[in-house]
Amino acid sequence: MLATNKLSKNSVKAMFSGSVSVSGYAETPLSRARVDKGEKRLTIEEYYAHALRKLLDNTGLRLEDLRGQGVGVTGSAYPRAEIWSAEVVQNLGLEPKFLARADHGGANGAALVVVGALAIYSGYVDHFLVLGADTPMNIAGEGALTWRYELDYLMPVGMMGPNSMAAMIMRRQMDQYGYKPEHYGSISVSQRFNAGKNPNAYFKTPLKLEEYLQSPLISDPLRMLDICPFVNGGFAILLSKTELARKVTDRPVKLLGFGEWHNQDAAKTSPDITTTGLKPAVQQALSLAGVKQREIGLFNAYDDYTPVVLMQLEDAGFCEKGGAGKFLEENDVTYRGALPVNTGGGLLSYGQAGMAGGLHHIVEAVIQLRGEAGERQVKTPAKALVTALGALAHGGSFINNYALVLGGD
Amino acid sequence: MSEYKRPLPQVTDYTKPFWEAALRGELVVQRCKSCGLFIWYPRPSCPRCGSIDLEWVKSKGLGTVYSYTVIRRVVANSPDFQRDIPFVVAEVDLDEGVRLYARLEVKPEEARTGMRVRVEFENVTPDIALYRFKPS
Repeated sequence: MLATNKLSKNSVKAMFSGSVSVSGYAETPLSRARVDKGEKRLTIEEYYAHALRKLLDNTGLRLEDLRGQGVGVTGSAYPRAEIWSAEVVQNLGLEPKFLARADHGGANGAALVVVGALAIYSGYVDHFLVLGADTPMNIAGEGALTWRYELDYLMPVGMMGPNSMAAMIMRRQMDQYGYKPEHYGSISVSQRFNAGKNPNAYFKTPLKLEEYLQSPLISDPLRMLDICPFVNGGFAILLSKTELARKVTDRPVKLLGFGEWHNQDAAKTSPDITTTGLKPAVQQALSLAGVKQREIGLFNAYDDYTPVVLMQLEDAGFCEKGGAGKFLEENDVTYRGALPVNTGGGLLSYGQAGMAGGLHHIVEAVIQLRGEAGERQVKTPAKALVTALGALAHGGSFINNYALVLGGD
Repeated sequence: MSEYKRPLPQVTDYTKPFWEAALRGELVVQRCKSCGLFIWYPRPSCPRCGSIDLEWVKSKGLGTVYSYTVIRRVVANSPDFQRDIPFVVAEVDLDEGVRLYARLEVKPEEARTGMRVRVEFENVTPDIALYRFKPS
């Protein structure tokens, strides 16, 4: 047998933790492209440009400082050239030594952070720029291209994309664990509360549980307010070798650990759809970081749908499988609570910038750990766990599963 | 018969036996000749052992509803389903041990996780018969 697990649990652990830091970040203003309401309708190229410009302004770096370093670009689900990262760097005038692109859907941002961290840790580059942007609100008509298995075995029988797949997970959770609509609604309400204190979130109007319960059923039991709405937007994150991070910023945030796992139970033909593949990813991330579960003071969980947040509270170890409903009854998960979840509003209330959406969870953790979160600042900035999920599986839950542990300087 | 306006599967060399069987009113699934794993959806290799030596075997067509959803809104790429709304789609675990997505021909309020169901087919075009399930 190849000693994969041995390698990840021992060799990397001894040396990785703390050797890579987040030295800069930027997020653009978001838009729903409602020109009739005075909103901007920018192109994806403009979002990339604005995210990079803002990162340079925030860090005081010049474009040429990034020459010969690493760059990672997220893909877009909407019709773009298949060769995409090349066009992005050409547009922006970037001249990298190392260029990566992710196609991990919601996990694009986390995937590029891991690629960048490994590139820096290996000594190949000193800095790695993660760029993500998407403009799903500009797309009319048929929308994203999708998987062969969805085209052949889901769409012909009347499945309606990710909404209907998330609804399958939710129905099974409700029947297997007795979860009630109120449990899911509590996530929507609490994240909207957090978003109300985040100037950059798109959906800030306070939300009552009654409004959640009255929101229309889309793919029953999934309601409108269980689903993250699209926004147009862009993000940038700069990773640096920790020794160099303080030359970029006086508030670096260490990437303490990371983990990922894909296509869990690959040979199971009838898996448990109420479980993600996050458990091994979280275990590796905590193990690399040398951080205990109880030290996590902020959990930014991937939240394209509310049932997905419940699954992750369980799979990341905050409660037992089937215990998320009770956990939510007993714990405040707003930024004021014992376990703040998605303090920036999450995709549900901040908005999902298409295939770049998952960068929100990472950027928000960095903002909190730098102490820059203003009214929504978590009182004791502690270690943060960020999770990311991508690719809904045929008959399962998610194929791509990521965990990042951030904290300390 | 009016033109069929809903998404249709692409039939390839390795999925053809499935769609041919469906036209005969038979539900067939792949089985790995090397390790014996039943496989759905159709694939060119076994996801357990990697063998490309697969065979098609007839399913009894019986299964249990693992989960389901009541579709109440259509999405842009499936507008023709609008006239069926509301309708039920289920994840059905066949007795052979594989899970597939299919229409469940029950009223939305009658759908239940754990329901026993049996396959039936509907010819939607001259080349494609779609599988769906009814309570057994």
